[in-house]
Amino acid sequence: MVNKNAKAYSMIPEQFRIKKKRDWNALVFKAALLAPAILFLVVFMYYPIEETFRLSMTRSTGLGPTVFIGFQNYVRLFQSEEFLMGLKNVLLWAFWSVVIQIPFSFFIAFSLSVFKNRITKPLRVIYYLANVLPSAITAMLGRFVFAPRHGVIPSLANKFNWQWLARIDFLGNPDLAFWSIFTVATWAYCGFYIIYLMANIEQIPKDIQESAQLDGATPWQYARFIVLPMTSYALRIVSILCIVGSMKIFDLPWLMTSGGPGYATSTLGIVLYKNGFVNWQYGRAAAIGVVIFLLSLFFTIIQFSLQRKEGDVL
Amino acid sequence: MRKQPAISVAMGRAFPIRSKISEILITIILIILALAVILPLLLPFMFVFKTRLEYNYHPWSWPTEIRWINFVEAWRAIQIGQGLLNTFYVCLGAIVCTVPAAAMAGYIFARYRSKVTEVIFYFILAGYFVPVQMVLIPLYQLCGLLNITDTLPGLFLPMTAFGIPFWTIIYRSFFAGLPNELAEAARIDGAGHTNIFVRIMLPLAKPATVLATLLVFMGAWSDYLLSLIMINSAKNYTMQLRIAQFMNQYGVDHMPRYAAATIIAAAPTVILYIFGHRWIIQGTLAGALKG
Amino acid sequence: MLKSKKAVFMALLLVVAMLVGVFSATAASKFKLVVWGRDLPDDDPAHAYIKALVNGFAAKNPDIELEYLALGDPGLMDKTKVAMANNRDLPHIFQSWGGSVMGGYADAGRLYDLTKELKDIPGSAAAQQAMTWKGKIYGVAPFFAIAGVFVNEDVFAKYNLEVPTTIAEMEKVADTLLANGIQPFAVGARDKWPVLAMYMYFVNRFGGMEAFDNAQARKARFDSEPMVKAAELYQEWSKRGYFGPTPLGEAYGDAQQLMATGKAGMHVTGSWMCAQYADPSFTDQKIGFYPFPVLEGGKGKATDFMGQTDIGFAATRMARENKEAVVRFMKYAMSVEACSAELGRICSVPGVKAPNRLTEMASAAFTKAEAIQFWWDQDLPPTVTSPLTDTLQQFLLPNANVKRLLTNYEMVVEENVGPAK
Repeated sequence: MVNKNAKAYSMIPEQFRIKKKRDWNALVFKAALLAPAILFLVVFMYYPIEETFRLSMTRSTGLGPTVFIGFQNYVRLFQSEEFLMGLKNVLLWAFWSVVIQIPFSFFIAFSLSVFKNRITKPLRVIYYLANVLPSAITAMLGRFVFAPRHGVIPSLANKFNWQWLARIDFLGNPDLAFWSIFTVATWAYCGFYIIYLMANIEQIPKDIQESAQLDGATPWQYARFIVLPMTSYALRIVSILCIVGSMKIFDLPWLMTSGGPGYATSTLGIVLYKNGFVNWQYGRAAAIGVVIFLLSLFFTIIQFSLQRKEGDVL
Repeated sequence: MRKQPAISVAMGRAFPIRSKISEILITIILIILALAVILPLLLPFMFVFKTRLEYNYHPWSWPTEIRWINFVEAWRAIQIGQGLLNTFYVCLGAIVCTVPAAAMAGYIFARYRSKVTEVIFYFILAGYFVPVQMVLIPLYQLCGLLNITDTLPGLFLPMTAFGIPFWTIIYRSFFAGLPNELAEAARIDGAGHTNIFVRIMLPLAKPATVLATLLVFMGAWSDYLLSLIMINSAKNYTMQLRIAQFMNQYGVDHMPRYAAATIIAAAPTVILYIFGHRWIIQGTLAGALKG
Repeated sequence: MLKSKKAVFMALLLVVAMLVGVFSATAASKFKLVVWGRDLPDDDPAHAYIKALVNGFAAKNPDIELEYLALGDPGLMDKTKVAMANNRDLPHIFQSWGGSVMGGYADAGRLYDLTKELKDIPGSAAAQQAMTWKGKIYGVAPFFAIAGVFVNEDVFAKYNLEVPTTIAEMEKVADTLLANGIQPFAVGARDKWPVLAMYMYFVNRFGGMEAFDNAQARKARFDSEPMVKAAELYQEWSKRGYFGPTPLGEAYGDAQQLMATGKAGMHVTGSWMCAQYADPSFTDQKIGFYPFPVLEGGKGKATDFMGQTDIGFAATRMARENKEAVVRFMKYAMSVEACSAELGRICSVPGVKAPNRLTEMASAAFTKAEAIQFWWDQDLPPTVTSPLTDTLQQFLLPNANVKRLLTNYEMVVEENVGPAK
C-alpha cells in the first residue's frame, strides 16, 4: 500500500507536488503564528467589548439579577450632573490642551532646534523627563506643590507673608482645581509634544533653511512662513493624539482631587470608575465606557481622514 | 509630504538665522523652563532633612543637620521595594507576551498577504482604537472568571491584548520593508516557513523588537488604572499602587516624610531615565512617527 | 548559532507558560486564614490594636497561617464590594462596620451565620447589635466610635471660652476664635467623608433621629426641611470662615495637623482620633472630647449620638472552610489581651481600661447615649453612598445651591432605592 502510494505520488509533476505540500504547511504555519494575537484579542478585547454593549443595556449591580432596560442607562447618564460635568471637563481639557500645550510645545521645539547651542542642546532630555514619570508620581508632585498650608506654594507665600496667595485653595476651589491639575498635566505631557515636533522640524531640508537665510528671514518669519506650514501635518497629528488622550484622562485628577470638590474635576474615566467600582452600577459604568469609545472613535476617524489626505506616514 | 523616521535625524549644526541677542534671550527662557521641569523633583531635598516642626516654622531655611529618619519612615510607609519587584514582573510579562505575538502576526500580515489575512489584519487593527476604559467592567468580570484577579498575570494579560494591535502594525510595516532576496534564497535552499521566519526574518527585525521591548516596558511601568481595579492584596501592589496608597494614608501634612517618599518614588524612574534617555527618546519618536 | 536562536524563541514561549503557571499553582500546607483589614499592622499609634491582634494571633496559633491584608481607606470598602459582587476572591474574614452594608452582603448570601458561636462573647450590646442582621450574628465589634467635638482646652482657657452646649453658644465661641486668628473648626473636606459627622449632628439637632431614619426608610425625602436647614447652616458657617480659607483642598490629615498645632479650636469627628490627640508626640496641645451641642427649639436631644462600630470583623461564606479557625480569630479579636493594646478607641469589651483621658471622656459620653445613629455613608446602600459624600462636600462651597444639591441627591436615591412615600 505504502509503496504503491509513494509510487503514485512520484508520478505527479514535481512542481505541483512541492506546492501542494508547502501550501498545507503554510496554512498551519499561518494559523500558528496568528493564533496568539487572535486569542489575546478575542479573549481580552472583543469578548469584553461585546459584554460592555450588553451590560450597558442592563441594570446590573453584581449582587442582584441583571435586568434588561434598553437605553435607560444612557438616558439617565445625560440627566446626571456628575456625568455631564465629566463630559464637559473632558471636552474642555481637550480644547485647552490643544490651545495651550501644543503652541507652547511648538515654541519650545522651534527654539530648541533653531537656537541650538551647547547649553540648549541637552535641554530636550530634561523636558522629556517629566513625561516618563508614572502618573502616580506626577500626582504626588502636584500635591507637593499645590496642597494648601503645607504645599510648596502656600509655604512660600507664608515666607513672604503674601496672605492673598496663602489663602488660595488650588485644589479645593472648584474654579481653580481644574487649572491646577491642568498645569501639572502640562508639566508632564509637553515633553512628548516637544520631542515629536522637534523631530519634525529638524526634517526640514537644509536647503530650505539656507534659502530662507539668503532672503534675510528673521527667526519669526522663518517660523511663521516655513516651519509652521511644513509641520502642519505633524501639528494636526499631535493635536488629535492629545484630544483622544484627553477623553481617557483619569490618573491625575483621581489622585490629586478624587474628582472634587463636588464634580469640579470629574472626568469620564472617574465617573466610570466610581459608578463601576464604588457604586456597583455595572450597567451604568458600561454605558460610560461606550460613550468614551464613541468619542475616541470620532476623533480617530478625523485623524485617519487626515492621514489619508496627507499620505502614509512612513 | 513623506516623513523620514526620526531615528536617523542628525543633530545638525545650529540654524544660522539668529542674532546674538535673541539667542541669549531664548536660551535663558529655555533654561528657566527646564528648571521649572526639574524643580519639583529637586525641592523635596530642601525639606527632607527637617523634622515636622522645623518644617512648619522654617520651611525654607537650609537644613541644620542631615537627618535620615524621614527616609527611614517613608521607606517603611511606602514599601516600594516589593512594589518595584511586582512592577518589573508585570513589565517582563507584558514584554514576553506582547512582542512575540505581535512579531508573528505582523510577519504573516506582511509576507503571506491574502484576502483572509487582510481581514484578520483589520480585525486586529481595529483593536488599536479601543480604549481600555471602555471595557473595564467586563474585563474585571472576565478576570474573575479566569481566576486571575488579584494576580500579576491579571494585569499583563489584558495589557498584552491592548498592546498587540499597535505592535502588529509596526512589525507588519517593518517586515514589509525588508528585502525579499534573503528569504527567497533560503527557500531555494530548502528552508521551511519556520526556519525562514526564525532564522532570517526575525533577526533582521531586531530594531523593531528592541523598540517594542522598550516601549512595552515603559507602558507597563506607567500603568495605574488596571492595577487599581485588578489588584487587591498588598503583596501584589505595583509601584504605582504603593505610591497612591502612601498618598491616601499619609498626607502632605507631614511634609518632610512626604518629601522623602516623593524622592523614593521618583528615584527608580529617574535613574532608569538617566541611563536610558537616549534610547527612550529615540524609541518613542520612532514609535510615534510610525504609528 | 541558528539553533540557539530557535532555542531562545522556544525559551520565551516556555517563560510565558511558566509565568501563568506559577500563579495558578499554590502550595497547600497549614490552613491559611485570609483576613482583609484597613490598617497596616505597623507602629502608627492608631494601628496599635491591629498590630497586637495580628501578631498576637499569629504567635498563639501556630497551626494557622494568618494572611492579613491591609487595603487602606477607600481600598478596603471598594475591594470588599467588588469581591462580594463577583462572589469570588472572598477572604474568610473582612473588617466590617456592620449595619446595613453588612446586611446587604448577608441578604445576598455572602456571609456566614455565627450566632451560636458568638452570642455569648462578653461585650456591649450596641456593639453586638451592630454586627447583627435580621437576628443573626455575623461577626464581632471590639471597638465602637461616636462622633463628638474635640476641643483645644488650652485655647479655650486663653480666651475665657466655655465648651458650648448649644449651637448658638458654639457660634459665639467660633466668632471669638475667628477674631483671635484661630480657625474655629478643622474639617479636611478634600476627602469628602469628614464633612459627614457635623452634618449628621446638624440634621439630628434640627429634625431628630427620624429625619434621617425616615429618609432611609423612604418615608421622607432627602431634601426635607431638616436636611435643607442643616445644609444651609453648614454653608453659612463655611461662608463665615469657620472652616478656614482652604477647607476643600485639605485632607483629613491636614485637619488633624491644624488641631495638633493649635491652629484650629475644635474638630467634630469620630472618637477614633482620641489616640492621636492624646499622644504628646503628635500634639503639644491639651485636647478634650465633648458631646455635640443641642439646638434650642430643635428636635434632637443631647443623648442622641452619631456613631458606629469602629473596628469590627465579619465572616464570609468562605468561613465554612474552617469555622473553628474563624471563631478563634473572632474570639481573640474580642479578648482583653488584644484590646488592651488599643490607645484611643472606645472598647466594647468589659475589663479593658481606657488608655487615656480622652478615651475616658469619649467612653463617658458613650455611656450617656440613649440612641445611636450609624454613619450614613456606611448605612445607606452602596449605590448611593458616594453621591452622598459628593453632595455634602459641596455644602462648603459658598455659592452652591444646597437645596438643589439635596434634591439632586434625592433623585439619585429615588432611582436606586425607590421613591419616598
